Amino acid sequence: MSRLPQRAPRRLGAPLLLVGIGLLPVLAGLAATLGPATSSVAWSELLRTPGLGRSLGLSLGTGVVAALLSLLLAHGLLAVLATPRAIGRARALALPLIAMPHLALAIGVALVLAPSGLLLRLVSPWLTGFDQPPDWITIQDPLGLALIAGLVLKETPFLLLALSAALAQVPADRLMLQARTLGYGRLRAWLLCVAPPLQRQITLPFAAVVVFGISNVDVALALGPSTPPTFAMLLWEWFLDPDLTRRPLAAAGALLLMGLCVGVLALLWAGGHAGEHWRRASAASGWRAAGDAGLQRLLRGVGLAFALLGALALLALWLRSIAPAWRFPAIWPARPGFAAWREATALLGDALPVTAGLAALTTALAVALALAAAEALRDRPMQRAALAALLFVPLLVPQFSFLFGLQVLLVRLRLDGSWLAVVWSHLVYVLPYVFGVVAAARGALEPRWRDVALTLGATPSEAYWRVTLPLLARALLLAIAIGFSVSVAVYLPTLFAGAGRFATLATEAAATIAAGNLRAAAVAAATMASLPLAVLALAVLLSALLFRDRRDLPS
Amino acid sequence: MRSDRRAFLRGACAAGAIATGTLGIPLRASAQSPLDWQRVLREARGQQVYFNAWAGDEAVNRYIAWAAGEVRRLHGVTLTHVRVNDPGESVARVLAERQAGRNSGGSVDLLWINGENFAALRRENLLHGPWADDIPNARWIDREGNPTIVRDFTIPTEGYELAWGNSRFTFFYDSAAVTRPPIDPATLLAWIDANPGRFTYPQPPQFHGTSFLKQLLLAMHKQRAPFQQPVADNFAALTEPLWGWLDAAHPRLWRRGRVFPASGPAQRRLLSDGEVDWAMGFNSAEASRAIASGEFPSTIRSLRLAAGALSNSHFVAIPVNARARAAAMVVGNFLVSPAAQARKADERWWGDATVLAVERLPAAERARFAALKPGPATLPASGPVLDEPHPSWMIALEREWARRYRGG
Amino acid sequence: MSDVAPAVAVAGLALSDVQLSLGGQPLFAPLSASVAPGEVLSVTGPSGSGKSSLLAWACGVLAPPFAASGDLRLDGQSLLPLPTERRRLGILFQDALLFPHLSVGANVAFGLRAGSGSRAQRRRLVDDALASVGLAGFRERDPATLSGGERVRVALLRVLLAEPRAVLLDEPFSRLDAPLRESIRSLVFGRCRERGLPVLLVTHDAADVAAAGGRELALRSGADAR
Repeated sequence: MSRLPQRAPRRLGAPLLLVGIGLLPVLAGLAATLGPATSSVAWSELLRTPGLGRSLGLSLGTGVVAALLSLLLAHGLLAVLATPRAIGRARALALPLIAMPHLALAIGVALVLAPSGLLLRLVSPWLTGFDQPPDWITIQDPLGLALIAGLVLKETPFLLLALSAALAQVPADRLMLQARTLGYGRLRAWLLCVAPPLQRQITLPFAAVVVFGISNVDVALALGPSTPPTFAMLLWEWFLDPDLTRRPLAAAGALLLMGLCVGVLALLWAGGHAGEHWRRASAASGWRAAGDAGLQRLLRGVGLAFALLGALALLALWLRSIAPAWRFPAIWPARPGFAAWREATALLGDALPVTAGLAALTTALAVALALAAAEALRDRPMQRAALAALLFVPLLVPQFSFLFGLQVLLVRLRLDGSWLAVVWSHLVYVLPYVFGVVAAARGALEPRWRDVALTLGATPSEAYWRVTLPLLARALLLAIAIGFSVSVAVYLPTLFAGAGRFATLATEAAATIAAGNLRAAAVAAATMASLPLAVLALAVLLSALLFRDRRDLPS
Repeated sequence: MRSDRRAFLRGACAAGAIATGTLGIPLRASAQSPLDWQRVLREARGQQVYFNAWAGDEAVNRYIAWAAGEVRRLHGVTLTHVRVNDPGESVARVLAERQAGRNSGGSVDLLWINGENFAALRRENLLHGPWADDIPNARWIDREGNPTIVRDFTIPTEGYELAWGNSRFTFFYDSAAVTRPPIDPATLLAWIDANPGRFTYPQPPQFHGTSFLKQLLLAMHKQRAPFQQPVADNFAALTEPLWGWLDAAHPRLWRRGRVFPASGPAQRRLLSDGEVDWAMGFNSAEASRAIASGEFPSTIRSLRLAAGALSNSHFVAIPVNARARAAAMVVGNFLVSPAAQARKADERWWGDATVLAVERLPAAERARFAALKPGPATLPASGPVLDEPHPSWMIALEREWARRYRGG
Repeated sequence: MSDVAPAVAVAGLALSDVQLSLGGQPLFAPLSASVAPGEVLSVTGPSGSGKSSLLAWACGVLAPPFAASGDLRLDGQSLLPLPTERRRLGILFQDALLFPHLSVGANVAFGLRAGSGSRAQRRRLVDDALASVGLAGFRERDPATLSGGERVRVALLRVLLAEPRAVLLDEPFSRLDAPLRESIRSLVFGRCRERGLPVLLVTHDAADVAAAGGRELALRSGADAR
């Protein structure tokens, strides 16, 4: 009697299409890249690399520490903020940082923390007595502390958003009330009752954060040490070496990096289980930790410090873009002017429409595909979760490991440099986030709304367009804002799939910073950061305007 | 050798060609080469040239944008600047296409290269040619006066790449801090020792950094012939003084030699912000341009070591599988035209030294160069030069540097 | 207690041998009943007995893993082959389920059949309907600002304007305050009776059954049936 069985085959088309789009390029690229890694000569050369141990240690150390710190901070801030209203405000603050591309933010942080950076200028020379920047190692420090700070600044807002989205599935308010009326301190109540179910909801985004931390090039380029650099930076250098005999070495290194990521994820997973045991044992101890006000203040302080760092980074970027010369210790650049912006108009004139066009096309496709798949799986939560997990796989594979192979495949198919290839490569990164938001919203939608529409005589497609879709509108606007910002920030895939011909803000920013042209980089980064912000602002505005008198619309 | 009379004759003919906008009367070239320039021009019209060129300097980008407008106007060729961070990216791309069996219709039509990248592409037979000596404007190129034009890092160019500009390794320093400019590695080391934290160099294998190593190495040796040969078992002995110098200098460098700027331009910013007193580049006009734009304080000056400046040329080349081969040649021919070269030498645009034998040009063209006004930090083009060592030296130096100083 | 009638080609709603099961377990004993036009049949049972699922099945929106057997006829015609939107069964839930993205007026108008006049005429219809239940001037209101009783009234109008041939009530009064419940019950039952609609009410509230004034059918658990 059920309508489902007979329709099921047709309805699985969209989810399968999504899996194909998300995974095919990665799997094919992996196979093609790692082929040369079978050479034993490559492996012995890899092992002889000077500073290999320290490079690997740096990559793992900075990546894992940054991911764990970000997670701790995100949980801590949510626990301290506690009320839905405050969490909503924190989310609004987090979104601009999420929209900011990694590279742009990293450049900004470098401009703040460097010995000639904004921070020391603010207190020099009146406090420090410096009229020359001190010869301190603040960024690119050998331990990677600046790199960790940059990663934490970028990843905490992301995890905050993921956690606050997961709050919809966990009755955090009631759990907290229950625990606190039993005498538990706020942080301990969060740790014992709310954090575990929340954490289960964000396993995949957290894994993506870990892998990004270990394998990123963007943030390490601006903030990471260089003697030795992180292992990912070494790999990047090998892949670009004109000495082509180094390619197998690079492939072997890519395989090693991927193995390390898998190993670290496995360790973290095991650690999570051990932590869960500890938590259960600890919960039975009855220790309530009621007097945690000091710790709460500390968390607020750290949160505030990072918010300040983010704001200063944006300010420094902007100042640098209007500063032809900016001798230390001036806070304000001498002869500020918009020459760099004028110079950059050609660049922006080319790159802005390409960036926006790519982002718009990718986001539109991603939202359409995600809607179709979410609709097909609307009453199948297990399959929905499985699809979300599959789509996350590309984010768990270091980009190097498949991009070079993907390039060869695209060349063979004569697709390199085509819009199809570039949009597809962006979809790989945009889909996991867009589908995550859309599928969660679709799953949470009261199914009887659609039923009511049908009993009132609306056909299924009328019910979809007139009821389901408008009810998803807020989630769609959020998905669009996130998808747009992800696409704007996609750098390496654009470079590889686009045959270098797609000059986007991300490739321009990377090119200018690689060339040390900080002023042009600042212009590109500032534009890059404002584009998703503009879309985000537009989405928020639109959402407020369209539904200004519709209080109960699901968000 | 050249006689003024012959130069004048050739110049007059070419001036006519330039004036009529055809540039294509192949006087001597036709006799010795099969290149039918009129046919090339016809074929080129309407083609699109993807020019993979380093895009780190806005002045260069602007210059290429100007050239794109000119070749469209003159020859109906669409020139697209594919902005590249590192020429290695383009080499990797051409190689990927070879691996994929794409022997025609490649994605790169013209690339900006020299040295190791040229050597790698030549070794793999991935360059189209010879063509560069057969295009009409090749006749103005100063092959005799500039040995680096015929031998790129000791590798004979043989018409597989077209000289575009000349580079002389130049130090930029703040004359307010460096009152008695050093002239050789020893005096430089003495300055570094007396001024801790105020000197650094870009991290090899970034090419400014590697060039700094080569400049020091060559300046330390009177006998430079071994460097023209591939590196052999003489490496350790010949580079010993270099490592000694670096071992002595590193503890006194900016950040005590634990951190290096990522590139030449990155170091320029350090100089601009006042973090260090030195930077380095391949072109003294760069400093004058930076002073004019306000990036550098007016006290910045340029210097070259007394032993001579490490010199090389940079080139454009056409991959063997280029789609728009004819149009790529037309673009190349335009880039070495007197008008384009004069604009390139103009510090207001780029300030890159010309590859043309200016004294051989017709008077009107010569006047363009005479009208150029060098800025306060610009050095004359003359002076002793040091030829680039064989590319294998570069790789060996980079690896040894990494072994000694990057392992941490 | 129950007057079980076989399904024959008579006016009204007829269920015959209806049984729902979950994972092979029947929820209640096979159910047969008929509801004449203007009559209210109350189906009662404890929560979890499958009352709501019965109505979902009748509408054709029963989701897996539920399975069903039996037949449902309206005026002699089986509804099972028809998709939900062509069954013309109006349903009222315990929460009014007004569409939160539409105004009160647009919610009511959602039920209007295509071709029910010009824009102005449709607007007139909505205004009149709202006025008839004491909600004049509510057209532009956000449904979120309505009280519980107002919401049920709007939901009722929405159902009635869709011109259903039978009405299903899924405990629509259970969330209302006691004094209000009385008046809303009489409004709903009265409107359905006026139009001669067969009404199937599921509830666990004896007062609902009394107010409905019709027969009562208690669901027996599926275990008993075996």
